Amino acid sequence: MAIEYRKGSSFLHRLDARTKILMFALATVVAVVIIDPVIMGILFLLLYWIGSRAVERDYLNKNLRVLVVIFLTFSMFQILFFTPDDSYFLFYLVPGKEWVAVTVEGIIRGVAVFFRFFSVVLSVHLMLYSTPPVDLVLAFTRRTKTREVLSEVGTVLLVGLLFTIVALLSWPEEISNLPLASGLRVAVVGLTALLTALVLQRVGARGLPPEMGVALTLGFATVGILSQQTQKITDAQKARGYDVQPKNLIQRVQVLTALLIPIFLATLERSQDISIAILARGFDYNIAERTYRRQLRFTREDYFFITLMIALLLAGITLNYLGIGNLTEQLILRLIAG
Amino acid sequence: MSVDINFQNVTFTYEGAQLPAVKDVDLTVTEGEIILITGPAGSGKTTLCSCINGLVPHFHEGELQGDVFVRKYNTRTSRVGGLASIVGMVFQDPESQLVTNSVADEVAFGPENFGVPREEINQRVTQALLATRLEGYDEREPHTLSGGEQQACVIAAVYAMQPEIYVMDEPLANLDPEGKAQVLRVVVEIAKERGKTLILVEHALEEVLPLVERVIVMNKGEIVRDGPVEEILEAGDIPFVFTRPPVVRLGEKFGLKPLPISSAEFYAQFQSRYAAEISPFEVREKEPIPEGEQVIKIEGISFSYDKSANHKGEVLKDISLSIAAGEMVAILGRNGSGKTTLIRHIIGLLQPHKGNVVVLNKDVAQTPTYELAKNIGFCFQNPSHQIVSFNVRDEIIFGLKAHGIKPEEYESRIRESLEFVNMLDYIDAEVFDLGKGQKQRIALASVLSLRPEILIVDEPTTGQDPRMAQEIFEILQRLNEAGTTVLIITHQIDYAAAYARRAIVLSEGSILYDGSIPELLMKKELMQASALEMPETTKLASLLSPHGVPPWLVTLQELDQAISKLVVAANGN
Repeated sequence: MAIEYRKGSSFLHRLDARTKILMFALATVVAVVIIDPVIMGILFLLLYWIGSRAVERDYLNKNLRVLVVIFLTFSMFQILFFTPDDSYFLFYLVPGKEWVAVTVEGIIRGVAVFFRFFSVVLSVHLMLYSTPPVDLVLAFTRRTKTREVLSEVGTVLLVGLLFTIVALLSWPEEISNLPLASGLRVAVVGLTALLTALVLQRVGARGLPPEMGVALTLGFATVGILSQQTQKITDAQKARGYDVQPKNLIQRVQVLTALLIPIFLATLERSQDISIAILARGFDYNIAERTYRRQLRFTREDYFFITLMIALLLAGITLNYLGIGNLTEQLILRLIAG
Repeated sequence: MSVDINFQNVTFTYEGAQLPAVKDVDLTVTEGEIILITGPAGSGKTTLCSCINGLVPHFHEGELQGDVFVRKYNTRTSRVGGLASIVGMVFQDPESQLVTNSVADEVAFGPENFGVPREEINQRVTQALLATRLEGYDEREPHTLSGGEQQACVIAAVYAMQPEIYVMDEPLANLDPEGKAQVLRVVVEIAKERGKTLILVEHALEEVLPLVERVIVMNKGEIVRDGPVEEILEAGDIPFVFTRPPVVRLGEKFGLKPLPISSAEFYAQFQSRYAAEISPFEVREKEPIPEGEQVIKIEGISFSYDKSANHKGEVLKDISLSIAAGEMVAILGRNGSGKTTLIRHIIGLLQPHKGNVVVLNKDVAQTPTYELAKNIGFCFQNPSHQIVSFNVRDEIIFGLKAHGIKPEEYESRIRESLEFVNMLDYIDAEVFDLGKGQKQRIALASVLSLRPEILIVDEPTTGQDPRMAQEIFEILQRLNEAGTTVLIITHQIDYAAAYARRAIVLSEGSILYDGSIPELLMKKELMQASALEMPETTKLASLLSPHGVPPWLVTLQELDQAISKLVVAANGN
């Protein structure tokens, strides 16, 4: 099954393409930061709930089902091989030989790994389902030459602040080891964060050159047409009397060439057609001054969603800072001990 | 009036070509003119159009002599993008010009390139969709539209660029009659309303002639005629180059002036000239439809692309029909009526969810397609989809090999089949060097080399000039006379009527009519309901029917004879 855009008007569909790209990025970071299976599980369910309102559940599940097996394997590895020395031992998988110990921590981490991977993948899926590829490309394309200084400075400051907090919470020891006065330490950390934010912002604002953006857009539009064409060609060859799926290997290669040549020619023809079509419609008029009908615009929902995601990230980091990042694990161990 | 386009002794030779594609062309077009350019395939019409918007010499490489000026710009020194802001170009195949994922994006593409501000782009999109009657199509995907809608979308996209000159290269060629009517309406409205220059390349003279003021006829790269419509029509036919519509030719023969273009004009003039008396209605013997062995038996089939149990949106609904050996049957109906879906069942490319199909005493559900293909030849609409070799001879051998024909027979079969399609001279030609009409005939030849008992052809004449279309129908007729059962999907009811005897009309997946074509031509409501355009000659015959002309006549010769009789009768009194 292809993962492709599905039309709709759900909450997820209404979000700006950039928000959804950010959603994927933040979901990845969150999945790295948060190691607690229960919190991660809740987050996963939350994402799934949002997703199920955007596309039909059948469709959503169909594409996720394949991944369950893969991620369960990952979990198994985690369960079998995450065995720190002081962990709570349960049993051996191969009892006679005392091979492969299974521990409480291993199981808990395993479950967490399952949800962490799944959340990242789900966020990609949701992004692709609910955003037209054109919008995604547009989000990466340089759209305007005029710069809005105020909002750019604002973004840099905000992101810088965020980085500073993250850094202070995540690496308190490393920072306190810096050979500087305590006030200076924070200033240095803040400055570094600000610089990083600036670089990111510059890279982000630069974006792809418009030629490349348009080319990508055209590419997305062509995929569907080419696959239709491939179907037509396959049918034409069947009707000419080729057994399209012969058992004999040599024949199969022959059939493949019979399909590949016309498909190859059709693709060439299509690219020729496209170049003529876009030239005739003024593609090389003045590409740097190109404008866009589609508009990416943040609404209140976007700000709300982004704030929520950032809050989650900060909460996760705070938990780690307080030493209770693995809350469930600690609780269970205490129950067992108590 | 200012000059819009000026060709000064222009000759262009494509790279690698021996002969120039356009030769010694001098042409001046003034603002607001509406011009038809016509001529056989390969006469340089498309190249001429490409000269106007700068694709020649900037995209197509070759040698350009002379100068082309568009307004004050020399195309040699202007960029295609710059010229595109003056010249809006629409090409033949709408699908190949649609490059984005939604109709609104498509229309916005040109203005975006010109750097038009967003608010204005949105205004222009709305206007363009309104002008082309595509309101509400904004978010539709272009490749899911019908042919006529697609072409309208392309025209909308050009309209939104607000060009001064519209150049349309066979915009009607790939459309069914309904789509043609839709696009023609749009084209005329746009040209007339905005008062812009319009250059229209077309073979469909009957439809286009009433709309234009000036006609240019091209042959072998040269302009052979150029003048006002009446003048060009009075100058007569040029064999193999310019054939006037039958009604015009009849008008000339019977001395009507000015020459009529439509059947109504003909009739009005004819009446005032010959006060023909009403003679008794003579009914022509209906040719019996041959009763041979039933080679195709379709019993109550229904089909839906929805594979779930409830089969939503059936494309075929309970269709039954049988076709006897030696018949030639035309399958008619508007786009999307299920014609192609139906014929795909005959060779097992699709299987019905209800009913069964038996072909040559084989149950299609039990027999694999490659087995059926031994006796059933199948030609697709686009020959490029079935040609797999780079060379004509290899192409035919490929099919023979797949069916296990003995190598000794190859040469004789290749020659026989190429001779049948009049392509024997091309036996060693490269497929790349062939035009679309020739490719179509090669595809046909490679099917014929297997000596099929049944031949199924899906719209073999789309986008071809009248002469090639006629040639293909003649080939099919010869095959039929040699005993092959022929099924043909077509929109060209005039050819169908001239060559086939039986017609099956599909509408929304059901059979609306199954019987002889002359009888079909008399059922006006049914024809209209299926968007079947009555040939202009038949319209004339039907106008003349009170005078005793059979209303189902289609060909020029038949009509000529009938009217001659009337004239003799009128003069006799």
